[in-house]
Amino acid sequence: MIFPRDATRRTDHKAASETFYDVVVVGSGISGAIIAEQLSQAGKRVLVLEAAADEDRSLKGYEGFLSRFYAAASKDNQSPYPHNPNAPMPRSTDARRIWPGQPDSSAYLVQNGPFSSDTTYTRVLGGTTMHWEAKTPRMLPQDFHLRTMFGLGQDWPLTYDDLSPYYVQAERELGVSADVEHQSYLGATFDPGYVFPMHELPLSYLDKVVAKGVDGTFVELDGEQFELSVRAFPQARNGVPNAAYDNGKGYVPVGAVNTHQVEEGERCQGNNNCVPLCPVQAKYHAGKTLAKALQDGRVDLLTRTVASKVLVDPATGRVDGIEVKVYQDPESPQHTTMIMRGQIFVLAANAIENPRLMLASGLSGSSGLMGRNLMDHAYLLSWALLPEMAGTFRGTNCTGGIVDLRAGSFRRQQAAFAVDIHNDGWGWATGAPYSDLVDLVDQQNLFGAELRRALPDRISRQLLLALMIDVLPNESNRVTVDPAYTDQLGNMRPVISYTVPEYTMRGVAYARQFARQVFQRLGAADHTAYDPTDGAYLTYEGEGYVIRGGNHLAGTHMMGTNSRNSVVDAQQRSWDHPNLYLVGGGSMPTIGTSNVTLTMAALCYRSAERIIAQLQDELSARLQTPAPTELPMPTVVAAS
Amino acid sequence: MTGPRQLDGSRRLEDFLAFSAEATAFTVFELRGTGQSQAYLNTCDGIVGTEVTDCLLDRYDAARSAVVASESTLPELLRRDILSDPQLGPVARNIAKMWFVGVWYELPRAWTEAFGAREGNATFVVSTQSYTEGLLWPAIGANPPGAKAPGFGSWAHPPRIPVFP
Amino acid sequence: MTTSHHLNGDSMPAITTLDELYAYLDSAMQLEHATIPPYLTALYSIRPGTNSDAYHVLRVTVVEEMLHLTLVANLLNAVGGTPDLTVAGFVPDYPAYLPDGERDFQVSCARFSRESLGTFLEIERPRQAPDEQSRLIDRGPARRGRLGSAPGNNQLQYYSIGEFYQEISRGLHYLHDLLGDALFCGDPTRQVGSEYFYSGGGAIVPVSDLRSAEAAIDLICEQGEGFGGGIFDSEGELAHYYRFQQLVLGRYYQERDSRDHPSGPHIEVDWDAAYPIKQNAHLADYPADSEVAAAAIAFNTSYAGFLDLLTRAYGGRPELLLDAVTEMFRLRDQMTRLIHNPIPGLDGVNAAPTFEVSVHLAGVAS
Ligand SMILES: Cc1cc2nc3c(=O)[nH]c(=O)nc-3n(C[C@H](O)[C@H](O)[C@H](O)COP(=O)(O)OP(=O)(O)OC[C@H]3O[C@@H](n4cnc5c(N)ncnc54)[C@H](O)[C@@H]3O)c2cc1C
Ligand code: SF4
Repeated sequence: MIFPRDATRRTDHKAASETFYDVVVVGSGISGAIIAEQLSQAGKRVLVLEAAADEDRSLKGYEGFLSRFYAAASKDNQSPYPHNPNAPMPRSTDARRIWPGQPDSSAYLVQNGPFSSDTTYTRVLGGTTMHWEAKTPRMLPQDFHLRTMFGLGQDWPLTYDDLSPYYVQAERELGVSADVEHQSYLGATFDPGYVFPMHELPLSYLDKVVAKGVDGTFVELDGEQFELSVRAFPQARNGVPNAAYDNGKGYVPVGAVNTHQVEEGERCQGNNNCVPLCPVQAKYHAGKTLAKALQDGRVDLLTRTVASKVLVDPATGRVDGIEVKVYQDPESPQHTTMIMRGQIFVLAANAIENPRLMLASGLSGSSGLMGRNLMDHAYLLSWALLPEMAGTFRGTNCTGGIVDLRAGSFRRQQAAFAVDIHNDGWGWATGAPYSDLVDLVDQQNLFGAELRRALPDRISRQLLLALMIDVLPNESNRVTVDPAYTDQLGNMRPVISYTVPEYTMRGVAYARQFARQVFQRLGAADHTAYDPTDGAYLTYEGEGYVIRGGNHLAGTHMMGTNSRNSVVDAQQRSWDHPNLYLVGGGSMPTIGTSNVTLTMAALCYRSAERIIAQLQDELSARLQTPAPTELPMPTVVAAS
Repeated sequence: MTGPRQLDGSRRLEDFLAFSAEATAFTVFELRGTGQSQAYLNTCDGIVGTEVTDCLLDRYDAARSAVVASESTLPELLRRDILSDPQLGPVARNIAKMWFVGVWYELPRAWTEAFGAREGNATFVVSTQSYTEGLLWPAIGANPPGAKAPGFGSWAHPPRIPVFP
Repeated sequence: MTTSHHLNGDSMPAITTLDELYAYLDSAMQLEHATIPPYLTALYSIRPGTNSDAYHVLRVTVVEEMLHLTLVANLLNAVGGTPDLTVAGFVPDYPAYLPDGERDFQVSCARFSRESLGTFLEIERPRQAPDEQSRLIDRGPARRGRLGSAPGNNQLQYYSIGEFYQEISRGLHYLHDLLGDALFCGDPTRQVGSEYFYSGGGAIVPVSDLRSAEAAIDLICEQGEGFGGGIFDSEGELAHYYRFQQLVLGRYYQERDSRDHPSGPHIEVDWDAAYPIKQNAHLADYPADSEVAAAAIAFNTSYAGFLDLLTRAYGGRPELLLDAVTEMFRLRDQMTRLIHNPIPGLDGVNAAPTFEVSVHLAGVAS
């Protein structure tokens, strides 16, 4: 995939500020990229504003990320990405224990507590999909009606069937590998004859070892019997294309993105490094969609451009510009302030940055829900040592899991969950395999041949289950801003207040039992230990747990049926500002047990249709009632 | 103590490799195959100083010669003369870890208190290649995450972990 | 270049029987394979962490040579032949000799250098015989490692690889005129499709008729040399010749560039950042019981196994190509270990795989 060279310099800031675009998009992540690509296809002029400092998405730049990762002593999930004080981002290693009344402001996210989350996102060109894991399950039909069914959470203003055709579009764009027969469970349906673009990825040997013990087991919950099995996850990474796709037309996988022709990668090679960075770009990232969006020259892209304020005309409620701070040097606070204009505005900066920007612009909305209902999956890790060599640390980060408890009537009492079998061992929980090596050498005093025998014995038998537990919307879980906390450019930083809801904790307690049962089945030695000094340590009914952030941020500009119960409508259009769309996870009223991105991509395809229609409507309206003064004039550039 | 090693760089490297082979149970050929030999020796020298490295290599040399006439095995002698030595033990363990994951681990505080702080003694990855050339990965039949990919679907097969008698 | 060029020549094609066609296609497989060891050797001699551009160019070229090999296998299977990469002499004893017009030239397994890149340029250089008579050139007495010669007569070598494929194309047409679609009598399940082979450059073409056969040949020729004299092939992929040329000229080609004048991003090549390996190494160069010798033997065994695996994949089990890729990654690790090791007794010269493959596994394994 060719990324047009110098695309970020195709226009300069001054020219852009003097142009009236059809659509101005904030953020070049998957949400922004899909909107830009769809609008460009419809012949619209689009400006994409990106806070990050990247130049083009070139292979060289990509390899720079890779070297940075190789050379990093701490290989956490942000390690490939350079620190940028002008567009800072959270890092999982930032999380600290929070004491009541003392927010932790030492890192970018100001954590007000009481729970300290280690959730992250990435502010680079292409956004967080540069480092996501790329699991792409659809939501289940039940997830859209939790309020009606169980009196919990919020109903969506949409159904599974409404979203289904857009899921198909999203699955094409992301290049999803999965088999319909294994994804039709718990009510999920597909159009007759539908196949995914690529066949499902083979389960890992580790998955198969787990499956031997788990497949065919029954568990009972709320009087319902559930049969368990290990199943492949749908994944946005290149596998074997399905010849039957698209009525037999097949599917051509999208390879690496670069400014000139150097093919590489394409098929997933099992680098076991999907998070934080796939070295061969077999994993989808938004750079692929962005490259497409930039092909025909209708999309302008400006990097080093931080949206700092949404400007609203108080008379009409319409947005008439976005104020941006343009910097050259990421290390220096020097910047220029400008205003970008267009007919329609789209905020696609993610579920934390969207409400942060709105609130920093003084736009808390008529519902008062802006920034509220922050959701993120709660991950409970449970780890054990299998009785046999399972060859852990091979394959993609995760190929299979147990998803049979994603829906059911038990949800009236406790959260549903999905289970990942991690191919990267205890890494997430203990820092394996490094921590194992250090222990074996420094504590167990092993050397030479003894050490060589001990290494696989300790590492290749590792099994880590990551239990991803549903979190429901809760108004007091929220993103706010506070002028006391700003970044280098003077933009207010997000302040997070968060409690893991009791409903989720009930699910956590059950999930822990569930993991124990799996280990018992497998004869695996449970090594799980939750550290009470960990910032994310919680007790529930006398037992302690550590809850990891899921990086599946959602809910903060929830969609709904009216302006009192939601921030946006079912097309992600703001109730208060008719030419403003807030897109991404923030629009989701619930997240169920599905990794959020495929759903947000589907929502963006849907919104793109609506935006195109609105542009058309507004154009014909203007043609009918000529009002010359309404035509915007280029604005004078303000410098600070 | 500046021994004759200083004069002969290649001999010194060979001894370092021979000792490393003992420490890791990888052959000298495999160690050289990583392309990291010189970088690791330099790292060790750079942090603890050539004198300490030389001392370790001398002890190793002595143990190797002594083993012929001794009732003990080489590993036993190494435990006695190097691994339990307050100064050389931590360095030897660091050399082993460096081969496995390409990381120089900060020496323990007890060491710096007894033998003096050393400049650059922090935990760091020796180089981008040292990460990808870590021998832990072949030892467990895997690849360093993010490099040396094993190929599509390889993960579905049983691991090929070298058996160690 | 287009393959219909000499079709209307008056002379009889060299291929007039199915057996002759098989012999030519066998020889084409050998030819396509023969460039892989030199490319791999140069590729893995690059010091890790350096020459990223050159590394990618070489890597992609190897993948495309694998594609060509697979395309020829598809051709051979389509006409009812049996690809066999395990026959004695399939892997040349390097140096090999490839045609380049009036002369031939040596292809060696050597380190990455200006010189080896020069050879690669020659391998891929577009060349068309000036006239009908000069299509086959007498290169003198038979010689080991001569490729692209007329099967059965090692002395006569084609003017260029392009001309060699021309001849195959002519033979296909001739036989098709004679036999009709019965020519393509092969078992379609032996065709490798895009499920089992896709790379960044060029899609695999399953062969079932004259049209697809032509498409396969065109792809092989264009990927090396460009389409109709252009720098890109008909799929918009840069031809190998120009890929390599970018490294010499220090710039990438981009769309709309004309030949010899790339205007894309600059490339830095560090010609010294390669291991000083023994050129065209043979087992005999290594001390008999050295670790290097043992590793070189182990590599050769693995390589023989790899060719055997390909033979089985092309013999009706295309899904084995997935394993073959895994196997190539393993070969890569074995190669780099050799290349990083000095040859004992030879100061400053490193080892390299020797590709002396004599083991005949196919019979045993299948
Ligand atoms: C480790 C990890 C693993 C994950 N795994 C999965 C998974 O397996 N499956 C799944 O579904 N999801 C996963 N996710 C979540 C997924 O990555 C996100 O949901 C998704 O990338 C969000 O896309 P987005 O476009 O809405 O936002 P982002 O990708 O965050 O993009 C927002 C963009 O806006 C830019 N921006 C922000 N503020 C401004 C501003 N003020 N001005 C201008 N530009 C701005 C940012 O720089 C960024 O480029 C994972 C996340 C992480 C961190
Ligand atoms: S396993 Fe590797 S090749 Fe596959 S997607 Fe993950 S990082 Fe990329």
